[in-house]
Amino acid sequence: MKRPVLVAALVALVVLSAFSVLLATRHPVQGASAVPSPLLGHEAPAINGTLLAQSTTPATSVAVTPGANVLTGLRGKTVVVNFWSSWCGPCKAEAPELSTFAWDERQQPVVVLGVLFNDNVSAATSFANHYGSLYNSIVDAGGVDANRYGVTSPPTTYVISPRGQVAAELVGPTSVAQLRAVVQRVSQ
Amino acid sequence: MAVWIGRLGVYLCFLSAVAGVIDLGVARRRRTAGHARLFSWLILLGIVVAVIDMQVALVTHNFSLAYVAENNATFTPLLYCITGMWSALEGSLLLWVLLLSGLVVGVVHYYRRQGDDAVVQWAELVLFVVVGFFTLIMAGPADPFLHNPAHVLQGAGPNALLQDNPLVATHPPLLYLGFVGFSVPFAFAVAMLITGRVQETWPLEQRRWTVLAWGALSLGIVLGAWWSYQVLGWGGFWGWDPVENAALLPWLTATAYIHSVIVQDRRGLFRVWNLSLAIATFALTVLGTFFTRSGVLQSVHSFSSSTLGPLLIGFFALVVLVGVGLLAWRGDRLRSVVGVETPFSREGMFVANNILFVGFAIVVLLGTVFPLLYQAINGGQVTVGTPYFAAVAAPLSVALLVLMAIAPLASWRRASAAVLWERLRFSAWSGLVVIVALMVSGVHHLTALAAIFFATVAAGSALRTLRGVVRAARRRGGWEAAIGAPSTAGMVVHLGIVILAVGIVISTSYAQRHEVTLATHQTTVVDGQSIRFAGFAHTSDALRSQTLLKVYVDGHLLTPAVTTYNGRSGQTVGTPAIDSNLLRDVYLTFDAVGGGDTTSGAQVQNNLPAGSVVLGVTTEPLLAWLWLGGVIVGVGSALTMVRRRHGEETA
Repeated sequence: MKRPVLVAALVALVVLSAFSVLLATRHPVQGASAVPSPLLGHEAPAINGTLLAQSTTPATSVAVTPGANVLTGLRGKTVVVNFWSSWCGPCKAEAPELSTFAWDERQQPVVVLGVLFNDNVSAATSFANHYGSLYNSIVDAGGVDANRYGVTSPPTTYVISPRGQVAAELVGPTSVAQLRAVVQRVSQ
Repeated sequence: MAVWIGRLGVYLCFLSAVAGVIDLGVARRRRTAGHARLFSWLILLGIVVAVIDMQVALVTHNFSLAYVAENNATFTPLLYCITGMWSALEGSLLLWVLLLSGLVVGVVHYYRRQGDDAVVQWAELVLFVVVGFFTLIMAGPADPFLHNPAHVLQGAGPNALLQDNPLVATHPPLLYLGFVGFSVPFAFAVAMLITGRVQETWPLEQRRWTVLAWGALSLGIVLGAWWSYQVLGWGGFWGWDPVENAALLPWLTATAYIHSVIVQDRRGLFRVWNLSLAIATFALTVLGTFFTRSGVLQSVHSFSSSTLGPLLIGFFALVVLVGVGLLAWRGDRLRSVVGVETPFSREGMFVANNILFVGFAIVVLLGTVFPLLYQAINGGQVTVGTPYFAAVAAPLSVALLVLMAIAPLASWRRASAAVLWERLRFSAWSGLVVIVALMVSGVHHLTALAAIFFATVAAGSALRTLRGVVRAARRRGGWEAAIGAPSTAGMVVHLGIVILAVGIVISTSYAQRHEVTLATHQTTVVDGQSIRFAGFAHTSDALRSQTLLKVYVDGHLLTPAVTTYNGRSGQTVGTPAIDSNLLRDVYLTFDAVGGGDTTSGAQVQNNLPAGSVVLGVTTEPLLAWLWLGGVIVGVGSALTMVRRRHGEETA
């Protein structure tokens, strides 16, 4: 090559132009997107684990027996299962929304349940305390629950119907309004 | 003062920038000196008028300005009235342009005797364009002087997190100074590419301008980390948030530039590469501004998003097009004829340094924009967080420490292993002693041990170089000459970075988080610290009401609190308390209170007896070293500004 700088610069120009176009066509982040999960309409996979210690009292507490499926005790209620981790930025935006939703729905047969995703317990505890989480979370050692649901990235939220079937999968940070709409549709 | 005065200032600033561009264009054509000094002073005058108008409006709570009504309240203290100017987008643009204009006046003044030089004229022209762009944003889509037609009595006040700590007065200005500072090396890189003249003394002068910006950015980043450590309440100082990465990216490429320019100065190598780095650094500051202001990336810094995305990405594309286009046009003719003779030499190690820093920047950039790439290709959402960044940053940082240990003692052109070992021997053995001592005292983390070992050797190399500088200066008659010697500033910065690195490694590897429940006058022991809860205290004023806990940590009184701010619909934030010394930090948060007490704003836990509290206790060894290291980096950068003779070298 006689003119290496020219070649390198042209390559860089093409890559960076594509990059600029990509960025220019993005929209500001708004809510989670409902995705067509293969689990939809099927029985919700089991959730096992231990309860994450936190200083706040949940709006609706969840009983957890090590080794048993947490969801079994929640039949007849709509369950919002939220996979989160303390290192995830969108989870920080979402945490107050989940707490607000849990508090609003505390008189209804609706339960919010967090599941830790690839996180360590002490960091997760301080996250829950910092955001004053009003819902219980499950420590999912080894990512067993995440594997059953096929979660690849937090935050991912599943809405499970009173009959125990997966009714919706929401990828990204969800909001009170979105949860309310989905839960209303599911409970009918 | 009336609203229109501020807007007039913005228009004066913008029109002067445009006039300056036209004037310099004409001057280039006629081969005469233009009127850059006049226009640079007019730009500064315009923005100073606008800033004074805004400050007067903030301090006098003039709510007829929409910006003041949203970011100020009648009960906001003076300090936070002043800092309110950079609490939101429109006002922070004022600060941005103020710093940029000050810098432009400085550059024009510095080169006043070369006013007819083509490189200087082109550089000034580019700087005027940059000023013009950011002022145009204020004249149009993000007008800080919008009138507020509604009659506001009290005002909303700044975001609670932005009036909780005085650091908000220093962190953004330093960060912005760093960001705008990189427009100077960019402007000169463009000028040199247009004129095709690089073989002169420009690189070293450019290095000094860059170090000015780099030092400010480094201090700004460290202060930002300190601020989030003191305010956010989780004991962390860095979260790989897109907005934090936006500041880190130009820092990484600027660090590469500061190093590789030395090689250009000493050996005439890397000319085109250095110009590319200067352009990349400035482009990354624009890209960082886009990340911060566009809201396309989910970030905890949500108070800074806006609708400026397309405008900023357009400017980024323009910068890239001009910069890379010029490189394609001129690059091959400017290349140096010789290359690096052998990798095992000082210049070879500078190449390794550049590969690592640029590689670091690329992996951070990829991690930051990966959610957008994934969304474009796959339509889905994905989150990239600490696990990815920590996994790539740890080995790169250790590799950089290895280079810091070896490179300052390696010879130019061709290093000799025997000589290098002779120079390194003492610090290598010291490093070994340090890690054996650490292993005996229970540190077994492999990455941590490797990092500490190379950090110790790097400190040894820096100290050895400094010793050489001082000895050489004394031979010439006085140690004072050592202050201005070429390697002094760099080696002081290296020492600062080493201390900072040790602080990061130890505090993150050995942080202990605990939560204790204490009744009044109860004492417990956590990680060897005795912790006694002595009771509650309440304070309340027009600005905020606080519930403080009186906690004695080894006899020192600490008061973690929960604070509720008036205005902004009563935002409540936790206010941590920190007991810090050089060996360890104890970080206390008020996490919850036992049933019954609902007045404090803290989380209520009904299953605990009234009067008891839940305390978060985090101990982080050597955390204060981060701040100490940051200060030393700042001092080292300032030393670069000391004038010195060209070509002096001692190592």
